[in-house]
Amino acid sequence: MTLTMRGAAYDYGEGRGLRATDLTLAESPQLVALTGPNGSGKSTLLKLLARVATPSSGEVAFEGKRLREWPAKEYAKRIAYLPQDPDPSFPMRAIDVVVSGRAPFLGRFEWERDSDYDEAARALATCDAAHLAERYLDEMSGGERKRVFLARVLAARPKVILLDEPLAALDVSHVQQFSSLLREVVDSTGSSVVFASHDLNWAAAYCDRMLVMQEGAVALDASPREVMQPEVIRRLFGFDAEAVDANGRTWLVPRV
Amino acid sequence: MTTPRPRRLAPPLAAFALALLVALVLGVTFGATSIEWRALLSGDETAQKIFFLIRLPRVLLAALVGATLAIAGVTFQTLLRNPLADPFILGVSGGAAAGAAIATATRLSLIPGAVPIVSFAGAIAAIGAVLVLARRRDYTDPTRLLLSGLVLNAFFSAIILISFSLSRQSDLTAALRWMMGSLFGATWVEVSAMTLLLIVSLIVLAAIANDVRMFVFGEDDARSRGVNVERVKLVGFITASIVTGAAVAVSGIIGFVGLLVPHIVRLIVRRDIRALLPLCAIGGATLLVLADVLSRTLTPSAELPVGAFTALLGVPFFISLLRKSR
Repeated sequence: MTLTMRGAAYDYGEGRGLRATDLTLAESPQLVALTGPNGSGKSTLLKLLARVATPSSGEVAFEGKRLREWPAKEYAKRIAYLPQDPDPSFPMRAIDVVVSGRAPFLGRFEWERDSDYDEAARALATCDAAHLAERYLDEMSGGERKRVFLARVLAARPKVILLDEPLAALDVSHVQQFSSLLREVVDSTGSSVVFASHDLNWAAAYCDRMLVMQEGAVALDASPREVMQPEVIRRLFGFDAEAVDANGRTWLVPRV
Repeated sequence: MTTPRPRRLAPPLAAFALALLVALVLGVTFGATSIEWRALLSGDETAQKIFFLIRLPRVLLAALVGATLAIAGVTFQTLLRNPLADPFILGVSGGAAAGAAIATATRLSLIPGAVPIVSFAGAIAAIGAVLVLARRRDYTDPTRLLLSGLVLNAFFSAIILISFSLSRQSDLTAALRWMMGSLFGATWVEVSAMTLLLIVSLIVLAAIANDVRMFVFGEDDARSRGVNVERVKLVGFITASIVTGAAVAVSGIIGFVGLLVPHIVRLIVRRDIRALLPLCAIGGATLLVLADVLSRTLTPSAELPVGAFTALLGVPFFISLLRKSR
């Protein structure tokens, strides 16, 4: 599996968007955290990788083939994407939400088979959400909904999973549970996960690699250890922090 | 814990079909003169004439119009992710009504069959205009689509008012009756045309239903699941608009069916659009057939506008379901 960007840019106009970017996600399964200030281009980068948006210049390629040469459904079987805070316009049961992740595998007039429901149930179990299967989304807590949506993404057994701010609006204990769940997913399924997040400490605690974005470009692509340095954080985020070592990891504590 | 299985469509479909059957029997039996089934079966000529030339085509047309408005409604609501969307929202009704009003003012309406044709042309022109207005570079913007429909409907209202003030008093009664919605004078030609249209549109909508249901989490999500969002929107909007235009051409403007039926069906059966399409078709047919029976039997001397009865039947039913749901 290789997913690469070569000079890929996206222009929203007025200088916003993504500047020409090179990036490679390679063979071995990785948990990649995508961080950076608001408006630095995290969502746009994920959308280009997900084939939700087409680059205005440059190209994105998967397995050596440019994205527009991939049939849409074939690509969707391999790369899954979760927008920030998806909300169904009509009430849905968790199991139906999850099984809809299998859509690329269905023919034009075909409905989900028993095997698709088996995949959906397996994905829910992976996310510790098997008990939620028959419940409706609108009666769930924020944390439960996130698990259901992660299961939906897993239901297609993709090679790469792209998540746009999956930790947003979660309380601190759910942030920890969900971050460690992402780690488990990478280790147990062999899929790579790229997730956008504002929470540097939790991202660094679990991920293998961090991408820091700044003004529409990847400013730093490094290991969590290299990113979690007070001077790096000051330069990229413009904020003063102190490094504290605990539990064998470096944590950044803001200076007040 | 048992693995959840796909839910079957047959049980709700059978229940809905039974309701439609009852409505159809009521529809052909009651009217200005009630049908004596014994006389009809024993070959009474008057009874047969009333039944085959007046009653049956009218009841079938009611069912067909109700079904098309309901599938158009559920398609618009799903594609636009807007529970308030209805088949008339894109200016379809305004365009059709403006066509009919112009035909009345120019006395074109005196030619038999001219009003449906002109109003259908008006509906199609309206859809074309709305789709062009809502197009932004390479995609159709749902918000602009709704706004364009709203603005065009206002524009068409102006045309209708001007046409009416230029029309002769004697021509206005027929025009007003049409605008209020009426199934009076249904013909077998209309029934055949609408049957064909319903079948074709159901096949087209079923062919994109697997993709349309993915719109429930937004267009980006649908795109990431391999859906060709722009093509599906275009096919869905055009199909739903054409059937609405045709329904308006044969029966005038009958409100509430396209808006309410999808909500009523969803409150009874919580399923995605693949299951809702056939259920809404049957539900819409049932509601309009019942409303039509009421409109022609409540007052002995005159027919009341059927559009009023779709609301009178649909709204209390909708409210009671809404109060029961969580």
